[in-house]
Amino acid sequence: MIEYSLEEKTYTLNLGPQHPSTHGVLRVLLEMEGEFITKAEPVIGYGHRGHEHMAENRNYLQFLPNTARVDYLHALAYNQGYCMAVEKLIGLVVPERGEFIRVITAELNRISSHLLWLGAYLLDLGAFTPILYCFDDRENLLDLLDRITGSRLTYCFFRPGGVPQDLDDEFITGTRAFVKRLRTRFKDYDNLVTKNVIFINRTKDVGVITQEQCVKYGLTGPMVRGSGIPYDIRKSEPYSAYPQFDFVIPIGDKGDILDRYVVRVREMEQSLRIIEQALDKLPNGPIMAEKVPKRLKPAEGEVYQAVETARGEFGCYIVSQGDIKPYRIKLRVPSFGNLSILPELAVDTLVADLVAILGSIDVVVPEIDR
Amino acid sequence: MLIDKIKQALAPLNLEVADGDYAKTGCHLAVAAPPDQIQGVAQAMLDEGCFLASLTAVDLRESFDLVYHFANFSELCRTVVHVPLGKKKGMPTLSAIYPGADWYEREVFDLFGIHFFGHPNLKRLLLPEDADFHPLLKDFGASESND
Amino acid sequence: MELLAQFLGSAGARMLVGLIAVIALVSVNALFLIWMERKVAAHMQLRPGPMEVGPHGAIQTVADALKLMGKELITPDEVDKPIFWLAPIVVFLPVLLSFLVVPFSQSWIIRDMNVGIILILAFSTLAVLAILMAGWASNNKYAVFGAIRSVAQNIAYEIPLLITVMSIILMVGSFKLSDIVAAQSQYWYVLLQPLAFIIYITCATAETNRAPFDLPEAESELVAGFHTEYSGMRFALFFLAEYTNMFIVSAIATVLFLGGWHGPFLPGVIWFLLKVYALIFLMMWFRWTFPRVRFDQLITFAWKILIPLAFANLLITALVLKLR
Repeated sequence: MIEYSLEEKTYTLNLGPQHPSTHGVLRVLLEMEGEFITKAEPVIGYGHRGHEHMAENRNYLQFLPNTARVDYLHALAYNQGYCMAVEKLIGLVVPERGEFIRVITAELNRISSHLLWLGAYLLDLGAFTPILYCFDDRENLLDLLDRITGSRLTYCFFRPGGVPQDLDDEFITGTRAFVKRLRTRFKDYDNLVTKNVIFINRTKDVGVITQEQCVKYGLTGPMVRGSGIPYDIRKSEPYSAYPQFDFVIPIGDKGDILDRYVVRVREMEQSLRIIEQALDKLPNGPIMAEKVPKRLKPAEGEVYQAVETARGEFGCYIVSQGDIKPYRIKLRVPSFGNLSILPELAVDTLVADLVAILGSIDVVVPEIDR
Repeated sequence: MLIDKIKQALAPLNLEVADGDYAKTGCHLAVAAPPDQIQGVAQAMLDEGCFLASLTAVDLRESFDLVYHFANFSELCRTVVHVPLGKKKGMPTLSAIYPGADWYEREVFDLFGIHFFGHPNLKRLLLPEDADFHPLLKDFGASESND
Repeated sequence: MELLAQFLGSAGARMLVGLIAVIALVSVNALFLIWMERKVAAHMQLRPGPMEVGPHGAIQTVADALKLMGKELITPDEVDKPIFWLAPIVVFLPVLLSFLVVPFSQSWIIRDMNVGIILILAFSTLAVLAILMAGWASNNKYAVFGAIRSVAQNIAYEIPLLITVMSIILMVGSFKLSDIVAAQSQYWYVLLQPLAFIIYITCATAETNRAPFDLPEAESELVAGFHTEYSGMRFALFFLAEYTNMFIVSAIATVLFLGGWHGPFLPGVIWFLLKVYALIFLMMWFRWTFPRVRFDQLITFAWKILIPLAFANLLITALVLKLR
């Protein structure tokens, strides 16, 4: 009698670092059994540039452009977090008009980040057309922001104390027209994508994140809102001019990919609401605080400033020892925590699902690597 | 109020707990803990429903200062926990309590060389696996050039 | 002289002329379809598409073909050489042979066999073999993945395809394609068998590996699926085979459901081509509108939904014919 033993053999598949669907240089080491994944391990660090080290060798104003290169898609929020942290350390108060301009530009940036996510995510799922529609919308938006900030992507627009450039009439009329146009476009997106049966089958009940996992992994942003936790720093820890605006926080209920998708799309609509209200209520006045010292030299101390970016909570932790250069800056980026849940979500899924889950986490790898 | 509940939960551990100056530092509660108590603190925070927002280290030349930031989804209360650590010492890991701490501890190990006891997979995260330096130490780079 | 006259009148000459015509048709068709695809995709994506080379980019495909012919044929080291080389040829030949029995008009048919439809269906199955050959020989995990998916997909979607074709055959009573067209002189079968038409179009899209069923070449997951390792002219052959396959399945759909070459005023051939290209346009529309179906959902859809529906359609057809 010959006894055959069936040995279950797993093989290793390498997703990336060069791969069309990992957004950035991310490598995921997969151990697979047939088409099912038994283990997934993200390998990061391909884009480590040493931002935190650079912070210790530059003065506070010189470090500002670095914050934009960390997450280039929502750079203005990172500018805002950093500037607010420095303002807390020095004790500067930004005038109202400056805060309003910050909110308007940051929300426009949030929309552009979500639009890019939308297009790229659907491209991962195989729909080739939505990304071009999204980029068409984004072109208008980037032209608007280019007018006053001077850049299309890695903005370096805010300064500790306010903003350096004021809005002009063309920007305001352009923004109002853009808001109107995007609202009609959302109907197209809804019909083409959100109600599409193939899309719903790919995203419903896939990649479910429970509320307990949100707490244990320290997830933030649309990940937790998709699981039903109404946590948005703009509402729970209001900063800048956000308390003056009326907007809701969209939440999902199951925590699957479809919920996170819907949360992000609704967030774009809410951002449009905020922009409209901000434009209506825009006060006159100075845009920079008076008496901003030429050389920023905060007193000794530490500060942790959190802002809500498109991906979640960006925390800027600065330790100052009274010098013109910071002693230590820690950039707490949302994608870092959000990606760490991938190994747990990927077990027993197909590669197609892994790509869908990875896209729904909305990682920007350069911010993980810093 | 969450801040009182946290103070109550941390009371048995006999730590230095002080109200933080939120307007200046962004934290409502500041805790100082020795390294062997950090797991107790983390468990207490998890029981109150707080999540670990950030875990980092600061090189104070003669010693390290590990900084843990906790926050909460339902009620605003940011807690910062400072853990002074001597050089050449290690820390207990939090990855059994907060799985999200796994990567943060790997990053601290990578950039500072601080060892975390009990960590399931303490490999380098950002730098190449075979790198032999810790870049965020204050005495790094003075004599070694790495271009 | 006599030999020449004998040859010219014989069936052999007819075959030779047919062969030349078919190769010409396949090349021109592929050139036209690639340009059409790029223009359709572009206009659906709010952009103009190729505009530089020739009027509205009409000669763009010629330029691309010349470029592909000039590319280096890279053969990776560890491939299974004979199979690697044969695969592009094997994928292309059956499609070419299917042209033997397609009725372009009443008299324009190379060989009107009485097993016409079966011949085409048999040949289209051989394409699966070629994909498996390509994927396996490439010695690349992604390619093998793509090939295996393609085999499963093709086999799964062949069955409802065959069953819907059987429903039509039951009504006509003959496998001859010209008979099927002649039987539709009063009204087209799409009016009598709309369900069969929908199932056929779905299966045809899956058989040709077009989106939303393009998992074997899923770009965002498997880089390029089973033809990852093919470059230059070999890649061009795969491409050519895909577009010609689209033509063939649309031609069959036209013959079975849309009345073949029937139509008022214009000559039969023009009507036939119009209908075929309308169906191809439909398949292109699908590609640029829908996201990709996940693999297990694809197979579930074929086995649990399409096959029962196709069977039900067949039974109803048989019942109605019996009761008449």
